[in-house]
Amino acid sequence: MSAGEACGSEHCITCGDDGVPMTVLGVDGGRGLALCADAGGAHHTVETALVDPVAPGDALLVHAGTALARLAGVAAGAAA
Amino acid sequence: MRFVDEFRDAELGRAVAGQILSLVAGSDPPRHYKFMEVCGGHTHSIYKYGIDDLLPANVELVHGPGCPVCVIPMGRVDDGIALAHQDGVIFTCFGDMMRVPGSSGSLLEAKAAGADIRMVYSPLDALRIAKHNPGREVVFFAIGFETTAPSTALTLKRARSEGVRNFSVMCSHVTIVPPLRALLESPDLRLDGFIGPGHVSTVVGARPFDFIPADYGKPVVIAGFEPLDILQAIEMLLRQLDGGRCEVENQYRRVVPYEGNLRALEVMAEVFELRPHFEWRGLGFISHSGLKLSEAYADLDAEQRFSVPGIRVADPKACQCGEVLKGVIKPWECKVFGTACTPERPIGTCMVSSEGACAAYYNFGRFAREREVV
Repeated sequence: MSAGEACGSEHCITCGDDGVPMTVLGVDGGRGLALCADAGGAHHTVETALVDPVAPGDALLVHAGTALARLAGVAAGAAA
Repeated sequence: MRFVDEFRDAELGRAVAGQILSLVAGSDPPRHYKFMEVCGGHTHSIYKYGIDDLLPANVELVHGPGCPVCVIPMGRVDDGIALAHQDGVIFTCFGDMMRVPGSSGSLLEAKAAGADIRMVYSPLDALRIAKHNPGREVVFFAIGFETTAPSTALTLKRARSEGVRNFSVMCSHVTIVPPLRALLESPDLRLDGFIGPGHVSTVVGARPFDFIPADYGKPVVIAGFEPLDILQAIEMLLRQLDGGRCEVENQYRRVVPYEGNLRALEVMAEVFELRPHFEWRGLGFISHSGLKLSEAYADLDAEQRFSVPGIRVADPKACQCGEVLKGVIKPWECKVFGTACTPERPIGTCMVSSEGACAAYYNFGRFAREREVV
């Protein structure tokens, strides 16, 4: 069994490489959580405190159960 | 899927590879370019997609220390195993960590020997286990760079707000800038530039890397993890060198803002504080490179709640992970690579994680050769 298989994906979950694009399906605003779907359709409970507010249909980058960024949410001129 | 498929376009990849070739073909006198990809995720992508085969022979990629599993020293694994064997403890960690060898076995072997060790996909999963097992003490072995640290911090805040008292964290989070500075100070390192870590930068932003061009005169391009991202980052590095520029550029603008995620930085500042020193596998002790829980969260610190040995264990003599992590040797140049040390029975951590340079070389067939000249 490879490390990737142990993780359940080909990437290592510990590293930021495991940042997974997901789409928000539903929001539990009171608990700061959202139900999201990955590209394969699998559902995940995601912590949204770092990117709130989120709404169904939003695209998020999720790592280790926490949304770190909104995809395409960065203004083109904002980066160095 | 959007944000994925368009960055794997073969035709565009060939076009960028052509631009790279034209940039280096005209160098007079002929020049050898050596770039370090800091993040293990980039190493994995480079070999998965065969990116190095698209590069001219005089563009070399060197693999950096950005695999958080690979840099965990043996003594830290031993501490985790000792903690996992304590009565009433459920020890939780990411799957990659379970196979990292300590001085007398891995967490996976400790689990086989009877310790209650469970793999989780997030710290939130560990907190859920704690809620479902109120009579047990649940410890989360927190490792990772600034990408993972916010998840741990948020989970600790959630544990506090929900009153979950049987949850604690053994904090082994590390930060990316101190090892980069240590590498740049290393006299045996010859580099022309860096491919910066994409998802760490999502949290910390581009600003923390400004010291690399300012103090060391090396360009940095922060890159995503798809093949086109990495190829474009190499092209951008070459364009900087060609144009006599030296700065931090952001290829991964669709995700990385210059200032990072301020909320993530705030929550990390509240929950963590810097350790005076932290030991890195192969790199030794580096000042202010590791995180521990702040005073405000000390009651959730597993190292204060339980006794851990805290013994330092020297790396195995046969293992050359240190040189690999510093980019001094290629994985296949290590004397135990692919023989005594394989992903099934790793000696060094670089062979454990799929992000580790040795595992990437082994899994994608780079056993003992340099690239063919293109």
